[in-house]
Amino acid sequence: MSENKYLTFALGKGRLANKTMDLFEKIGITCEEMKDKDSRRLIFVNEELKLKFFLAKGPDVPTYVEYGAADIGVVGKDTIMEENRRVYEVLDLGYGKCRMCVCGPKSAGELLQHHELIRVASKYPNIAKDYFYNKKHQTVDIIKLNGSVELGPIVKLADVIVDIVETGSTLKENGLEVLEEICPLSARMIVNQVSMQMEPERIKKLILELRNHL
Amino acid sequence: MSKKLVHTPEGVRDIYGDEKAKKTIVERLLHEKISAYGYRDIQTPTFEFFDVFSKEVGTTPSKELYKFFDKEGNTLVLRPDFTPSIARCAAKYFMDEDVPIRFCYQGNTFTNTSDLQGKLKEVTQMGAELIGDGSVQADAEMIAMTIEALYHAGLSDFQISVGNLEYFKGICAEAGLDEETELELRECISGKNYFGAEELLDRTHVGKKDKELLLKVSDLFGGVQILEEAKKAASNKRSKQAVERLSQVYQALCDYGVEKYVSFDLGMLSKYNYYTGIIFKGYTYGVGDAIVKGGRYDRLLTRFGKEAAAIGFVIVVDDLLAAMGRQDVIISGMEIPDKIYYTEADFKEKLQEAKRLRLAGKKVELLHE
Repeated sequence: MSENKYLTFALGKGRLANKTMDLFEKIGITCEEMKDKDSRRLIFVNEELKLKFFLAKGPDVPTYVEYGAADIGVVGKDTIMEENRRVYEVLDLGYGKCRMCVCGPKSAGELLQHHELIRVASKYPNIAKDYFYNKKHQTVDIIKLNGSVELGPIVKLADVIVDIVETGSTLKENGLEVLEEICPLSARMIVNQVSMQMEPERIKKLILELRNHL
Repeated sequence: MSKKLVHTPEGVRDIYGDEKAKKTIVERLLHEKISAYGYRDIQTPTFEFFDVFSKEVGTTPSKELYKFFDKEGNTLVLRPDFTPSIARCAAKYFMDEDVPIRFCYQGNTFTNTSDLQGKLKEVTQMGAELIGDGSVQADAEMIAMTIEALYHAGLSDFQISVGNLEYFKGICAEAGLDEETELELRECISGKNYFGAEELLDRTHVGKKDKELLLKVSDLFGGVQILEEAKKAASNKRSKQAVERLSQVYQALCDYGVEKYVSFDLGMLSKYNYYTGIIFKGYTYGVGDAIVKGGRYDRLLTRFGKEAAAIGFVIVVDDLLAAMGRQDVIISGMEIPDKIYYTEADFKEKLQEAKRLRLAGKKVELLHE
């Protein structure tokens, strides 16, 4: 609607943000301020294109976008599924590829066959619940853990885990393996619903350019 | 103060002071515009039988309803949405009415949504329903009234995005999609999830041309020029008629002089299953979701035994106020009462003075000195 409004981007901290900026650079969107590694600023601005960028913790990105604190966000599909926010998911950026899987010791494979009640440890309780209840129709107890989820089956806290698998080497070292794949994951671009309706031309153009580039 | 007793449960809140004063003013302004169009107030119960909001009616999912039992064991539900109640009411009391009926309502609705996401479980809604009129003019009246009401309440930076479900349904029917795929696709398209839709369609046996067309729907949003594009894209009659309807509504909205607030989105599909044709949503800065939701529900009344076309909308008053707050919209008309101080000796005198001022329409607060 108004030409002088900034478009604000929320990027998940870390590798994802770097790759996103590399990609944006290819379609002519740059932000020199962000390349300065010593900078302690939280918000970076490109005055010419009227763009703002900020870095946030992955799981918070959909929250910023839902409330319109950012118009656009880049974050992993796992976070989008887990947070289940009302945002438009417009692009699969293709990088940050990995899988959401059910993992455990080989012997636990049997437990997934007969709808029996088992214990599942995960950083992603919503994804785990959705998969077991709605896809597998198996009743499970879900235990939320905040890191090193692989420990769960080893110390007998849980029968299996639901977690992201990239190469599978951590699993292997701990005597675990992938038992079932839930879905593939990658980095996604999400857009605030209101921004999409209020600035359709600008955001559409950006999506089209990125889509053509991918 | 008992520390335990003063809390409210998550998702509900107290509204008081200036905030409540502003809310009352905004509600009054919205109501003024809606009644100016001849809509009559209606009040329905806060809770109803579960069946009024059941899955077949296509409203809020059962797990998000607040349910309880009466003494006979019937399941009751706190209303999550007004439209089914109004439809029930219209079918019951206006069964033989042939002329259009216009209702306006205001009240709180309840949905048991997830915790810790900052969403309210009890919100105030104000809305209107026009029953027994299936015309283009009825569609335009609803949309124009929404725009005028929002503007009258003080909002100026907003967009009403209009879609027509028939467009998408026409393409789905032509492509021969089964119901399950259509539902899944609906989710992708309404989420503007282009690649998700692509992935889904790759798994089906839909032809290349139909696939491209279905995917295009998620891109069909923007100004009025989108309608031309949509018309060219679709070849089936149902979809073409849907676009034609939108063009006619747009013409009528130009006659109202409100077209600058209108945009189009053919990929807009509602989660409420009772909508049948035109649907629309109102967006503004400062809140993450639409502040207005509306649309045509020509078959809902049939469920309650009356054949009648109908269209309605609802404004989420709490979200509108939040948006106005964040946009620094000034809500005028707030009156701070005058204070008159009295002592035991001059109470009679001061009371007379207060009485006189109150009669003259002033707000007066009597205080002991």
